[in-house]
Amino acid sequence: MSDLLSVEGLHQSYGERCVLRVDGFRLQEGRITALVGPNGAGKSTFLRVINLLEKPAGGEIVYWDGSRLSSLGRRDRRKLSREMAMIFQDPLPFRRTVRENLAYGLKVRRLSRAEREARVEEMLHRLDLLEYAERAAHTLSGGEAQKMALGRAMILRPRLLLLDEPLSNLDLPSRRELLRLISELVREDGVTVLYVSHDYHEVLEIADVLAVLVDGELLQVGEPGEVFARPRSEQVASFLGSENLLEGVIERRVEEMGVIRVGRAELEAVCDLPAGSRVKVLVHPEEVVLLPPGEGAGSARNSLAARVMEVRDMGSLVRVTMDCGFPLVAHVTRASREIMGIRPGSEFTAALKATSLHVMPFSGRS
Amino acid sequence: MGEIWRGFVEACRLIARLDPYVVKITLFTLYVCALATAAGMVVGIPLGTWLALHRFRGRKLLVTLVNAGMGLPPVVVGLFVYLILRRRGPLGFLNWLYTPKAIFLAEMVLAMPLIAGITMAALQNADPRLRLQARSLGAGTWGSALTLLRENRLSLVAAVIAGFGGIISEVGAAMMVGGNLLLHGEPYTRTLTTATVLEVSQGNSVRAIALGIILMGITLILVWVMTLVQQGTASAHPLRAARDLLTGKRGVVRE
Repeated sequence: MSDLLSVEGLHQSYGERCVLRVDGFRLQEGRITALVGPNGAGKSTFLRVINLLEKPAGGEIVYWDGSRLSSLGRRDRRKLSREMAMIFQDPLPFRRTVRENLAYGLKVRRLSRAEREARVEEMLHRLDLLEYAERAAHTLSGGEAQKMALGRAMILRPRLLLLDEPLSNLDLPSRRELLRLISELVREDGVTVLYVSHDYHEVLEIADVLAVLVDGELLQVGEPGEVFARPRSEQVASFLGSENLLEGVIERRVEEMGVIRVGRAELEAVCDLPAGSRVKVLVHPEEVVLLPPGEGAGSARNSLAARVMEVRDMGSLVRVTMDCGFPLVAHVTRASREIMGIRPGSEFTAALKATSLHVMPFSGRS
Repeated sequence: MGEIWRGFVEACRLIARLDPYVVKITLFTLYVCALATAAGMVVGIPLGTWLALHRFRGRKLLVTLVNAGMGLPPVVVGLFVYLILRRRGPLGFLNWLYTPKAIFLAEMVLAMPLIAGITMAALQNADPRLRLQARSLGAGTWGSALTLLRENRLSLVAAVIAGFGGIISEVGAAMMVGGNLLLHGEPYTRTLTTATVLEVSQGNSVRAIALGIILMGITLILVWVMTLVQQGTASAHPLRAARDLLTGKRGVVRE
């Protein structure tokens, strides 16, 4: 896939404070890229800079037509900005009817009346908003208003759709519906999307690419599953809410393995850091296997004696907190809990594959 | 008390039979004030918009000037315009003094800061993200400002009414630069307010009351429209908004 735009050395500061510093980033054409990060990470600033709503302090963006942000003339600016559309956290309806709201951008672009009407009609249909067409847009409910806002942007057939936390103010059913609509419309029209959110759960359903921005810096970009399984740093892991982020030291190396001391236990994991390094070890709770005590762990390298501390029902899964010489969390199904009789105080063997452990350098930050 | 009542009844008769003198003065006043308000809008709305949306050097000074302008004493404006328009003044060659043009000029100077100031205040209180949204949908600097104005059209109506109401009831400036003159026995630069002052000073209270009633009527209508606007007779369509204003319908339409 080719890139729709690429970013080099972009930075922005408000007064003394540097809010954004993106050394390199490529936005893949025709895909949905989710940009996630905590509040105040600089995500919205990044969007506004791309959308030409804000001038950066420095750096370069190369757009799809080869034009460069640093050397845009007034006319190029307008042309480019008209190939993008943005949706904000609030639907921001204009005090007009839904129909007039949808037609806004088309009117700005001086499309003929016939063309406008045809496109508005089509969009009303796609959004299933026909019955609201003549309603004053500011009287719509939150979900419907945001649908209208999505239509108002998509009707422009943009190359790039920028979404700035579009679901944050909606209830769960509206979120689901809007997410489905976004994904449907965007894929049908082949629009590239940059979707900003502080909640990665929300975007995982539709994102093709996940980019993590923390403190203005782009820490990792990759396929969502890959980023989750192998966060590049402790900061990424902790933002993604990884439950078992253990601190340890590599004691010695055995071929491609490192033997890591964590608390009172030793873990073997695939890693390429030298002996003596302080590290963080990520253990995905769903990859912890619980076996009856004393039983061999088969192919798993690490077998640890575990004592259950707490069992908590999380709805679809059960969260088991154990003491293995260090605290370890495992996710098991309800059925396993019943069959294995997992309850506080019971003892098991926790088995961890060496490949399911992910080792990251210790940064001292999180 | 009886005299006041008789004067009131007589005044009503004067209005009812469309006394040419009273009608002429009324129309003239409405005409000059409407023109001055329109000119004040042409300058004041863009000025207010500019001051609200742009940051530049000297903005604070301009904002202060506009705010001060909102409270200008009409007599001082009259004096100022008189000094400029009198024969030895910088614009003396125009020969505008003691003509309707002079009244127009003075009233415009009074109305413009009112309109600019209220426009500015309204736009500063408006949601700035709305303009960002307009821009992200492709509107330019001007287009997005126009959208913001359109979104706040009710405040603009209020600004215009405030401007019009301010100058139609004003007497000092109109008197000083207009002169309250008759030309060939017909009212020439005589407005409702200046005429009222004259009638009273001549002891002609019937006519004064008649003029007063008309002025009161116009002011009441303005206040009524203003109240409707403030109570949010908001329609998505300007024509419907006008109709709602006239019929006194309230609340948001098409719920």
